[in-house]
Amino acid sequence: MQSHAEVLNFLENNPPPPSCHHRLPVISIAPQSLASLAASLSSSSSQPVSLSQVLRRVSVFCRDVLGFAHVYDTTFARHISLLEHAKEFAERKSGNGKLPMLASACPGWVCYAEKTHGEMLPFISQTKSPQQVMGTLVKEWLGAKWGKTPDQIYHVTVMPCYDKKLEASRQDFYNEAYATRDVDCVITTGELQLLMQDKGWDLSIPVPDENVPRLPPLELAPAGDAADPDAFPELLMHPGTSSGSYLQSLISTIVSSAPDPGTLELTTKTVRSADYEEFTLTHRETGQVVFRGAKCYGFRNLQNVVRKVGRDAGVQVGRGAAGRLAGVRGKVVRKGAAQEDKGYDYVEVMACPSGCVNGGGQLRPVQAEKQLADAEGFSRDWQESGVSLGAEESLPAAPISAKWGDREWTKKVEAAYWRTLPTPPPTPPADGKPSGSVSPFEYADEYAGRVLREMTKAAPVEGKVEWTTKLDDAAESRRQRLFRTQYRAVESEVVGLAVKW
Amino acid sequence: MNQDLPAVIHEVATLEGHEDRAWHVAWNPTRPLLASCSADKNVRLYAYSKPTDPAVSEPKFSHISTIPTGHAKTVRAVAWSPSGKTLATASFDSNIGIWAQEEDGEAEEGAFNPAAEWECMSLLEGHETECKSVAYSASGNLLASCSRDKTVWVWEVHPDHDFECMGVLMEHTQDVKCVAWHPTEEILASASYDDTIKLYIDDPQEDWFCFQTLPGHTSTVWALAFSPDGRFLASASDDTTIRIWERVQEHKWEYVDVLEGHERSVYSISWGVGKPLDSDDAGSLGWLASTGGDGIIYVWELGVGPSAKDPSRKALTHRVIAKVTEAHGVHDVNSVVWCPRAGFEDLFATAGDDGAVKVWRVVPS
Repeated sequence: MQSHAEVLNFLENNPPPPSCHHRLPVISIAPQSLASLAASLSSSSSQPVSLSQVLRRVSVFCRDVLGFAHVYDTTFARHISLLEHAKEFAERKSGNGKLPMLASACPGWVCYAEKTHGEMLPFISQTKSPQQVMGTLVKEWLGAKWGKTPDQIYHVTVMPCYDKKLEASRQDFYNEAYATRDVDCVITTGELQLLMQDKGWDLSIPVPDENVPRLPPLELAPAGDAADPDAFPELLMHPGTSSGSYLQSLISTIVSSAPDPGTLELTTKTVRSADYEEFTLTHRETGQVVFRGAKCYGFRNLQNVVRKVGRDAGVQVGRGAAGRLAGVRGKVVRKGAAQEDKGYDYVEVMACPSGCVNGGGQLRPVQAEKQLADAEGFSRDWQESGVSLGAEESLPAAPISAKWGDREWTKKVEAAYWRTLPTPPPTPPADGKPSGSVSPFEYADEYAGRVLREMTKAAPVEGKVEWTTKLDDAAESRRQRLFRTQYRAVESEVVGLAVKW
Repeated sequence: MNQDLPAVIHEVATLEGHEDRAWHVAWNPTRPLLASCSADKNVRLYAYSKPTDPAVSEPKFSHISTIPTGHAKTVRAVAWSPSGKTLATASFDSNIGIWAQEEDGEAEEGAFNPAAEWECMSLLEGHETECKSVAYSASGNLLASCSRDKTVWVWEVHPDHDFECMGVLMEHTQDVKCVAWHPTEEILASASYDDTIKLYIDDPQEDWFCFQTLPGHTSTVWALAFSPDGRFLASASDDTTIRIWERVQEHKWEYVDVLEGHERSVYSISWGVGKPLDSDDAGSLGWLASTGGDGIIYVWELGVGPSAKDPSRKALTHRVIAKVTEAHGVHDVNSVVWCPRAGFEDLFATAGDDGAVKVWRVVPS
């Protein structure tokens, strides 16, 4: 099973490079995992630790202690996910697919929908999650650059979430030709910490040059050049949410591609809590609604989104029951149609309250508090839940305090996620010529275009390849295979045992 | 017979018609209607009326309608909304059905015809396996349900039979058998196969959460009932006992008493105001009816009186005032429910594995 023990076991038994059985070990770390480690370090240190510092320290540990050949964070893969995601949304908006589009990066949500809400699957974005895009990049693009076939690479990811293990083991992400997975092993943030504990690594100790940005000036080689694998973009902190900024990046794309971006106004409305917010783009003069989206986190809000989407789209929700119940959905649609708002165009759905910073695989709060609920606000580990609470054990006078502990901790992880190093001062052009340096996001866009061109083996196009560039048919079908996936409903019958109760 | 008891239990009606075991009954709180549900997937509705002839003291029950629910499996529980206009069904097919009659804007209140068609207005999906119990809060604004999937769900009731999920509580480690609301406040209780009772409230900033777990039963807790005044909670268990818990602080409940007498699993309890035998008794907490696998129905009178240990202090008191054995013949009795309507406080109904629903009245002997 995918665990930190499996990683150690693999590394110990991996024959050294001359052997044809050697597999190149690569590790990719999610930014939410870095934030969890940063929050944990910061709470026991006088100075807050930034994500890039944590990434440097973890990189040194993974390379020098564990023997990984390459260490990445997954934010450039996320950048590609966001680009493809925006492209998919535009396709759906133009009539090619269903709306609202629902985010697909949360495997907890995707598995749940496949198991119990098959009718939601056509709405779920088919764009691969950052983890799986990273799997594709490592095994098929970086691998090719290194002269390795996919099976000659052992790719580990570090994720804030246990369900990412399930995602990695989906059949869609298994390479039949090479009998290997895009991501071979997923470990959680907590399991990475176990690895460091096992090896006696102290993450609170700075490593040399940890404050030096890896890529001092983000300069691009001339267009047409291949992308340099050693200049792989890192720590692209997409503005929006700490769970991937899916909604925000769509809104930005819509605004920036509008004929007159200045005429669009964004309004937000909190539906019940920060875990359920609506975002509306309105044309300032005409009042016309251009886009209606929502961010919806936590199992409870997810239920309401499923109901709302089912109602707005007029689809039967759930397994349904035979007979008189079958027509119910239609009835409610008809009744509610008049006063019902127009439905959403997009929903950023995440199963965990507060999103990925509060994932089940994250580190526990540093304060040793008695946990009445786990980091996700509910318990999946039935054995550990509060049943054994002794009769004599007194509960806190204000029963809410235990929960607040969790919430406060999640806020700290959220803060750590957005805590970046001061932006390095722009490097003055050394030779007096205008600097070729660009913003990290422009750099990433350019880099992504080159990756796309190389991976899809696209025929030359006029001008440079951008993510939205329409490629030749063969290249477009390769793009589809590389960056999209699919979902299927799982038959799950209610167990019909002759239970007395 | 139990001639030494101060009251007897008269059988008022035997209502047959379910084609499989009858699981649960629910009295409409505003109208003279009794609903029952069964493994035959039907809900049966009965009307009743106070006899006009004073010589006949028992109300008369008649079957007026059957709702073929369309649930794919057993209908395990039914619950009326406090308005009496909506009925919720909890089914082993994992769904909750919401039933009402098509509202005619012009119709007057008096035009209510319970025999007119009851339609499924909404379907609440979410539970993964058998739904075991469903309950409306006192205000009717909230609906709770529980399931073998170990979860308890809280829904907010919106206009037009729309519902919003307010919480999914994954606190129990086993099958959740029963949910019950406090009679005046938004406090929810659940009982489980994990032998515990859990109590929940809403955190206005966040979600619903469990503020206390009540351990003590040594086997499955099947049923819960709050006292009419809301100061006590009773729980019925497979350990054959009924435990009484007292609210000692706003968010703290403590075990105070145990009612023993049943020989087998206690499946159901109901706590009504009753008609206290000693009408001068200011300390009466009402009547609690219990039943279960032994086929016995007990009616207990609860009150506050001098403590046995220290007569200068007040304590909860209980005594059996009436008892019936073989209430449904050799069959298990699955539920017992007091009628909540004024003038009928001495009336309760039971549902049994024999498929029958029976109505009973407690009469001083």
